[in-house]
Amino acid sequence: MPDSPMPDNPMPDNPMPETPFFEVVVVGAGPAGSCAATVLARRGVSVLLIERGPFPGSKNMYGGVVYPRILDSLHPEWWEEMPIQRWVTRRSTMVLTENQAVTIDFRSQNWGVPPYNGATAYRPDMDHWLASKAEAAGARLLTSTTVTGLITDARGQVCGVRTDRPDGDVACRMVIACDGVNSFVAKEAGLYPDLNPANFTLGVKETLGLSRSVIEERFAVRDREGVDIEILGGTQGVNGGGFIYTNLDTLAVGVVLKLPALAAQKTRPEEIIAHLKSHPGIAPLVEGGEILEYSAHLIPEAGRSMMPQLTGEGLLVAGDAAAMCLAAGIWLEGVNFAMASGMAAAETAAEAITAGDVSKRGLAGYEKRLNSSFVLADHDKLSRIPGLVLSDRVQHQYPQMIANVVERVFRVDNPQPKPGLRKIFAEERKRAGVRLRDLARDGWTGMRGFG
Amino acid sequence: MTQDNLRWPEISFEDRIGTARFDVGERAHITVDSRICADCSTRECVVACPAKLFVPTADGGILFNYEQCFECGTCYMVCNREGAIAWTYPDGGHGVVFSQT
Amino acid sequence: MIRILVCQKWVAPEGDSRGASHSPADRAALELALHIRDRAEDQTEVIVVSLGGPGALHGLRDSLARGADRALWISGPTDLRSDAVAAAIHSAVSTHLVEIGVPDWVICGDYSADRGSGSVPAFLAAFWDAEQALGLVQVTEHSASSLGAVRRLDGGRRELLSVSSPAVLSVEGSVATLRRATLARELAAATMEISEATAPLGPRETPVEVTAYRPRARMLAAPAGQTALERVRSITDTATAAAHGETVALTPDEAAERILTALRDWGYL
Ligand SMILES: Cc1cc2nc3c(=O)[nH]c(=O)nc-3n(C[C@H](O)[C@H](O)[C@H](O)COP(=O)(O)OP(=O)(O)OC[C@H]3O[C@@H](n4cnc5c(N)ncnc54)[C@H](O)[C@@H]3O)c2cc1C
Ligand code: SF4
Ligand code: SF4
Repeated sequence: MPDSPMPDNPMPDNPMPETPFFEVVVVGAGPAGSCAATVLARRGVSVLLIERGPFPGSKNMYGGVVYPRILDSLHPEWWEEMPIQRWVTRRSTMVLTENQAVTIDFRSQNWGVPPYNGATAYRPDMDHWLASKAEAAGARLLTSTTVTGLITDARGQVCGVRTDRPDGDVACRMVIACDGVNSFVAKEAGLYPDLNPANFTLGVKETLGLSRSVIEERFAVRDREGVDIEILGGTQGVNGGGFIYTNLDTLAVGVVLKLPALAAQKTRPEEIIAHLKSHPGIAPLVEGGEILEYSAHLIPEAGRSMMPQLTGEGLLVAGDAAAMCLAAGIWLEGVNFAMASGMAAAETAAEAITAGDVSKRGLAGYEKRLNSSFVLADHDKLSRIPGLVLSDRVQHQYPQMIANVVERVFRVDNPQPKPGLRKIFAEERKRAGVRLRDLARDGWTGMRGFG
Repeated sequence: MTQDNLRWPEISFEDRIGTARFDVGERAHITVDSRICADCSTRECVVACPAKLFVPTADGGILFNYEQCFECGTCYMVCNREGAIAWTYPDGGHGVVFSQT
Repeated sequence: MIRILVCQKWVAPEGDSRGASHSPADRAALELALHIRDRAEDQTEVIVVSLGGPGALHGLRDSLARGADRALWISGPTDLRSDAVAAAIHSAVSTHLVEIGVPDWVICGDYSADRGSGSVPAFLAAFWDAEQALGLVQVTEHSASSLGAVRRLDGGRRELLSVSSPAVLSVEGSVATLRRATLARELAAATMEISEATAPLGPRETPVEVTAYRPRARMLAAPAGQTALERVRSITDTATAAAHGETVALTPDEAAERILTALRDWGYL
């Protein structure tokens, strides 16, 4: 057991003398919370990490690829220890129509050697590991405990949390909310002005069991190499996308569906997965896989435009709780953003505690930190992309247009001579009902966003 | 390979949800007020809940079981009627337990 | 001082310590003990004991957090045979918790999370020469030295028992719902002291292969009867209203002998 202040030994300025006290309470042991707790503990700050699941990671699912380079500073040589499935050395983007598929495929062996790039991993394994690192650094982890509210003092400053345990209050100097997409902590603190379901997507996923050798044959990889396939289209008219990732002896296959679009039609999420799995371009990859686990989770999809206030009086918000997840079409990254924002929140908290000012003003350094890191820089650059990717044109018209263009380019219509690309393009654009002006505008948004 | 072989032999929803582990708590963490649902014609929850926990009843209400819930939050987000869904997390340690996802 | 010993087994699903738990019955055992303690007029102490690998320490800490006063970990293999488990518990308690002597109550779950044979409590009762009341589904009333309980019998029947200490009880999960730990106690349990003992080597549980029972072959006289039909009838007993049951009033020894004879006759032994 790591040495850390025991609750019966309260720090001098515990506002509630009968109550266990920690300088910082971190709510939620996902990647944001565990990285925050690690940084705080290493800085000598007493920290309690509270998780509602029976173990960290038990409540968490995602698509399946993590980009852990942000851990280089926190856990050097993390790749020696982290419970990963495969190193992603191949990334594909697939555009699907009902019976066509256009795939862009990239492979780099550089990504298969240290320090690596992305890896597939199971969240219950990875989050458990990250939390164990926080414990090893001296943070106290409290599992099976749901935080049910904030305690504020007369000045409106957060000074504790309520939990659902008997005598469940904990006193603290400040709280870091890392409680994920539904963040009731941030909502209670009034940091989310309004909640628009259109900013969220539902991710549903099947973990499919297949043997290692079958996976390696079908996806053309060896050893611990793995594949990441992002799919546009194929979600039966519901705005969203799909994914396939390779684990050691399972595949992660799932779809991400925009909430209002999903709710407004008649097809259920698992039927949309089933349909995707039966697509002629996908079926040969996933066939025979036995469903080992079915899971679902929300994603804060709208990026910068939906972010709450990140700082309150005695409160910081990090990770999905602050909508830091980057979900922009070919990118579905949230874990790295969560880890980075959790670390930034913890650095800020440690400084503020040393300086003796955990008010909103005292915590202002958090947003500055994020602005100067990839976290908000990427979000700013890509701020228009989520809207673009989930727009009806990108969802319903462009895939058909692109697939038809490619089909005609490769089709051999002998004895007709090959038509010019420009002509095909113009015809297919008209056929798909895409106006040139919209195309130009979307192209411009995309270029500015991605470029 | 014939078209038939490509058809996916889908498993029943019970088998599908049975692949996930739930350590069911004693308290119903989500409750649905079926009287409010009786006036709802859109029924967003029925199609959107990934765990298929909202079941329309013959008398026009909604039957809801909290046991095999992913705690995702979709239902309270898509439901348009004030007060229809009272949503909380299960008591600490209870509810869904993921393992390979 | 009244001492209540609670025996629990911490069981992890194969290869994954994250799903480890006590069985509902083991949890009910702890709650019953805490309940008796909390209502007892005399000073009462609940001591949890667990035999197993280091994982058992997690289980013991969990029980300490929920309110047990002390804990004893007996390090040893998880697949010891029930009599060896009971011997190890008895000897570890006698040598490491000398002050206890014969515990007033020993409370066990009537099955562990890995569904053992449920016979550890009976062996414990033998070792301590205590009364036993096993397979309780309900505890109706209790004082520190006696309690009333309901036991499940075959055929949906119930038996009402009155037990006085020292006694060994085993309970089903229905007996009580285990309380949650307070937050302070949960935190404190992480560093509470746990006594340690080592189980002596003992016989292991032999894995039982479950197959359908097949009586061994035995010689049968040819069925009586002139025609094939009569012979078939005599084997299958169809037309006769022959009594298949037999009611006898015998002493226990005679009854045991009678049962064995019948089993032998029928080819089961
Ligand atoms: C379908 C899907 C696919 C995705 N794919 C990817 C991907 O491939 N790569 C990627 O990098 N990201 C992906 N993401 C995004 C990524 O999962 C999130 O961005 C990331 O998990 C955010 O981490 P976090 O720590 O902020 O929140 P979470 O991981 O959600 O952790 C929050 C934690 O807080 C706990 N908690 C919540 N409320 C309370 C409370 N009141 N009391 C106590 N504890 C509480 C929860 O149990 C949980 O452990 C995906 C997400 C989804 C849903
Ligand atoms: S829960 Fe909401 S969406 Fe579902 S039927 Fe009731 S009112 Fe309608
Ligand atoms: S939280 Fe998710 S899984 Fe649970 S009832 Fe609501 S929509 Fe269904």
